[in-house]
Amino acid sequence: MTRGEFLGELRAGLTGLRQQDIEDIIADYESHFADGRAAGRSDDDVARALGDPVRLARELRVEAGFKRWQDERSTRNLAGVVLALLGLATIDFMLLLPAAGTIIAIFLGFALAVLGFCIGGVVLLISLLPIGFLADLGSQLGRGLAGAGLIAGGIGGGALFVIVVEWTARMLVKYARLHYRLLTTAAQSV
Amino acid sequence: MTESLQIQLRKGVLEMCVLALLSAGDNYAYEIASRMADSVGMGEGTVYPLMRRMQNEGLVTTYLKESESGPSRKYYRLTESGRATFEAQRAEWQNFEANVRKILGEAT
Repeated sequence: MTRGEFLGELRAGLTGLRQQDIEDIIADYESHFADGRAAGRSDDDVARALGDPVRLARELRVEAGFKRWQDERSTRNLAGVVLALLGLATIDFMLLLPAAGTIIAIFLGFALAVLGFCIGGVVLLISLLPIGFLADLGSQLGRGLAGAGLIAGGIGGGALFVIVVEWTARMLVKYARLHYRLLTTAAQSV
Repeated sequence: MTESLQIQLRKGVLEMCVLALLSAGDNYAYEIASRMADSVGMGEGTVYPLMRRMQNEGLVTTYLKESESGPSRKYYRLTESGRATFEAQRAEWQNFEANVRKILGEAT
């Protein structure tokens, strides 16, 4: 692989990050090639030692996404981290897929339950409206309370859900780091 | 089996080794990468995500320094927190290593 091919693939893999971050990262690798040349190595050799640019890009993307999320804890940035992790998982099944599959299933279940609570509560409350004075007061009160309770449960569950997602994302980043600190040459030499 | 033990060990000591290198003096990524590739077998490309992470965690900072040839170079320097982390990790490692050596010594 030539220097140009390596940097091109790396840049393509970083698309979507902030321009500043991309330039910083590209500059790091450009100077790596320059230092390699100065040490008398061929570009081809340096590129091989650097490893797979697509994979590196995904790792760097997780790192950049995590940094941005640490700086500003918005839902959007959290989504960025989760997406970056999924991106890494798609090229590294060994790494994340078993964990990711389970976690996504749990998340989906949780989200559906929260949604169900909210919808159920709203339906119960709406069902009170047209009945008015005719129905007996006790059952109306009961349904009103149940409806409000369901909605409250839904909102509480939603908040819990966000916390769980955050915690999981943090754990996954930690887990991913453990793996990607490793070592393209280790994989090659094995 | 041996291979996987080696990989596990490398994973564990990578950060500590980079901290150790930097504790001996500021350095730039190419040099760090070459040293790590030679001694621990780390992929050269891996040093950049690692340095970025260590920077995120406040273990290292960067500054630009003129080089004799070509454009200025990005140097990494240990922060106070990086130095403290290194000392803690080194003590932990030495303790661990001594215990393992003792057990291995008892083996026949």
